[in-house]
Amino acid sequence: MTSRLATPSLARSGALRVSRRSILKGAAGLAAVSALGAPALAQSRSLKIGSYGGYFENSFKEHVYPKFTEATGIAVESVTQPNSSDWLVTMQNAAQSGTVPADLSLYARDTMIRASRIGGLLAPLQPAAMPKAEGLDPKFLYTADSGLVGVGAMSWFTSMVVNPNVVEAPASWAEFWDPSTYEASLGISKLYNSHFLDIAAATFFDGEATMMSRDGIVAVVEKVAELKGNVGLWWSAESQMEQAMKNEDVIGGIYYHDVAGIMAAEGFPIASIFPKEGNPQDYGSWCLAEGSEKAEEAAAFIDFSSDPATQALMSRMIGTAPLLPQSATDLTDEEFAAVSGTPAITPAYEAYLDMGEFIKETWEKMLAAA
Amino acid sequence: MTAARPQASGGRRPGFGAVQALLGLVLAALCVAPFAIVLVVSFGQVVEGASWRWALSLENYLRFFVGLEWPASTSFLYLQKLWWTLVYAGLAAVIAVAFAFPFTWLTTRQSRRIQTVWLVFLLSSLSLSEVFVVMGWDVLLSNRSGLPMVFRETGLTDWLQSVGWFDTLRDWGMATPRNVRFKTSVFATVLTMSYLVFPYAVILLYPALSRLDPAMLEAARTMGARPFTVIRTVVLPAARLPLTGAALLLFVYLLGAYVVVSVFADPARQTLTITIYESVRGATLNAPFGAAQAVILLLTAGGFLLASLRLSRLAEAKA
Repeated sequence: MTSRLATPSLARSGALRVSRRSILKGAAGLAAVSALGAPALAQSRSLKIGSYGGYFENSFKEHVYPKFTEATGIAVESVTQPNSSDWLVTMQNAAQSGTVPADLSLYARDTMIRASRIGGLLAPLQPAAMPKAEGLDPKFLYTADSGLVGVGAMSWFTSMVVNPNVVEAPASWAEFWDPSTYEASLGISKLYNSHFLDIAAATFFDGEATMMSRDGIVAVVEKVAELKGNVGLWWSAESQMEQAMKNEDVIGGIYYHDVAGIMAAEGFPIASIFPKEGNPQDYGSWCLAEGSEKAEEAAAFIDFSSDPATQALMSRMIGTAPLLPQSATDLTDEEFAAVSGTPAITPAYEAYLDMGEFIKETWEKMLAAA
Repeated sequence: MTAARPQASGGRRPGFGAVQALLGLVLAALCVAPFAIVLVVSFGQVVEGASWRWALSLENYLRFFVGLEWPASTSFLYLQKLWWTLVYAGLAAVIAVAFAFPFTWLTTRQSRRIQTVWLVFLLSSLSLSEVFVVMGWDVLLSNRSGLPMVFRETGLTDWLQSVGWFDTLRDWGMATPRNVRFKTSVFATVLTMSYLVFPYAVILLYPALSRLDPAMLEAARTMGARPFTVIRTVVLPAARLPLTGAALLLFVYLLGAYVVVSVFADPARQTLTITIYESVRGATLNAPFGAAQAVILLLTAGGFLLASLRLSRLAEAKA
C-alpha cells in the first residue's frame, strides 16, 4: 500500500510499472529528469528516453542504456514518465509550447493509437534505419496513416493466480465461476480495460471477435456479472492485490505474471498459471516525439532494443516478455517461463478505443448493480 | 444576526485598499480560478478514442442523471455513487461525533496535565494521512493477521459454522467458504472514515465543552440530578451548536474521502470521488465528465451547508 493508492487507475491499463516497485516515486516525478553518467559534451550524440518511473526506469538505467551507449556512443538521458496516459497529457501540453520532454517515449498500445489520432504528437519512424525491428512479431509494430509510429519495446502478461496452499491449479478460467470454492475469494481488477473482459470473451465466447460489437460486449459483461459473488476484492491498485494475496484475503484472481513470480520466489503463497484459454498479453511501444531532432539516434536505439540479445537482457533483468519467439533468443526454458507463456490472449484494442465509453459504462453498471 | 456592522468609513489609512485588493487577487487566483476552470471544462465534449474539446454542451450533466445511453435506456449509476458518497460521509461524521462527545466531555473533567497529554496525542495523530490509517485498518481486518485470524484461532469461526450462523454471514457477503471476512464492506469503510475524523471531532468539541460553566453543572447536581441527567439536560443542550457544527464540517470533509473508499468499498458501493478520478485520469481521459461530476458534488455539499444554516437560523428564531 503505497502512495500509488492515490492514483490507482494508473495501473497497467496504460502503464507498465506503476507498481509497488515505484513506491518511492509516488505520484510525483512527472518532470524528474535525471541525467545518466557523466554530463554529455555539447558535440556528442545524445538521446532523451522516457520510461515508467521507479523500478522499471532504474532497471533500464542500470542494465539497458549503458549497453546501448557502449555499442553506439550515443549518451542516454533518462526521463521519468508517470505512466502512459498521464504522459500523453504532458506531451500534448509540451507540443503546444513547442518543447520535447523526451525524444522517445514508452506508450501502451491504446495510448499510442490515441496519440496518433490526436495528431501532431508522434513522428513517423524510418523502418530502413532499424532493420532488427523486422525480426519482431509483426503485431508489435503499429503503422498509422502517417507510417510506422510505434515499435514494440517489451511485453507482459496478466495471468491467473491462485494460492497453491488452498486450491489446486485450475485448468480453465471457467473454474473461477464455481462458488463452492471461490465464493467471495477472488481478486479481480476493477478497471474495465484490465483485460478481464478479454479473458471472459476467450473462455466463453469467440474472444476478440465477440468484443467488436456492442451486443458481444454486453454478453461478455453479463458473463462477468455471474462471477460477482465470487469476487472478494475488486482491486484498482496493483499493491492492493499484492497485499490481499499475502494476507490471504483472497485465494486467487488476476495479477501480473512477472510480479507473481517474484512474490512466489520470496516465499509468498502465490502461483501464476496459464490455463488452457491462456492469459492476456499486453505490450509497450517506443514512439518518437514530433519535433524531436534526434530521429537518427532514436532509430539506433529502437534497432538496439529490437535485438534478440537486448530482448533477452530485458527479460532477465526487468522481467518483461520478449517480443520474439523463445527460439530467437538465448533464454533458457526456465527463464522464458518466468516472463512468458502460452497461449496468449490478444486484448481487443480497437474495441477499447472505439467503444471505450460504452464498455466502461456497461462494465461500471455491472459492478454497481447490487 | 443582523447586528449593525461597522460602517466602511473614508477614514482608512492609505494603502489599506491596495492590500485588500491584493488579497482579493490571491483569493481569486487560488480559489475562484480553479473552480472556474472546472466549471468551464465540465461543458466540454469528449472525442472518443482521442482527447476532448472545448464546447458548450450539457451532455455530461445529462449523463450524470440518466446515463450515457439515454434515452434508449436510463441508468442511475452516478446518482447511486452520489448517494453512497452522502451515506458514508453522513454515517461516519455522526458516529465520530457521537464517540467524540463523551470522550471530550470526560477529558475536560480531568486535570490540566491529563488534558494536555490527550490533546497532544490527538493532534499528533492528525499527522497520519488517510493512506496510513487505511493501511493500518487493512492489516487489522485482514484474514491472516487481523480480526478474521482471531475468529479462526479462537474457534469462533468453527462455532459459527456449528450453530449455522456462518451461512447467514455468507449470504451477507461477510464470509468466504473458509472464514469470516470484513472487507470489502460498508462496515470497514464507515469504521475507517469515523476513525479518520475522530481527532478532528474531539478538537472541534473541546473548546465548547471545556468552556462550559462548572457552576451550572454544580447547580444541577445540588438540585439532585444524576450525572447522566446532567449530561442529558445541561451539557447536551449547551453543546448543541458545536455538535451539529462539528458533524457538518466532518461530513463535508468526508465527501472527498478517496483512499478509504477505493480500498474498503466494493465497486457497487463506491463514491463520486472515485469516478471523478477515473474519468479525469483513467483510460478514457474524459476530463469534461469528471469536471461535471465534481461540480455536482460541490453543489451538493454547498446545498447541505446552506440547508443546515437555514435550520440553525430557524432553531435560533424559535429559541
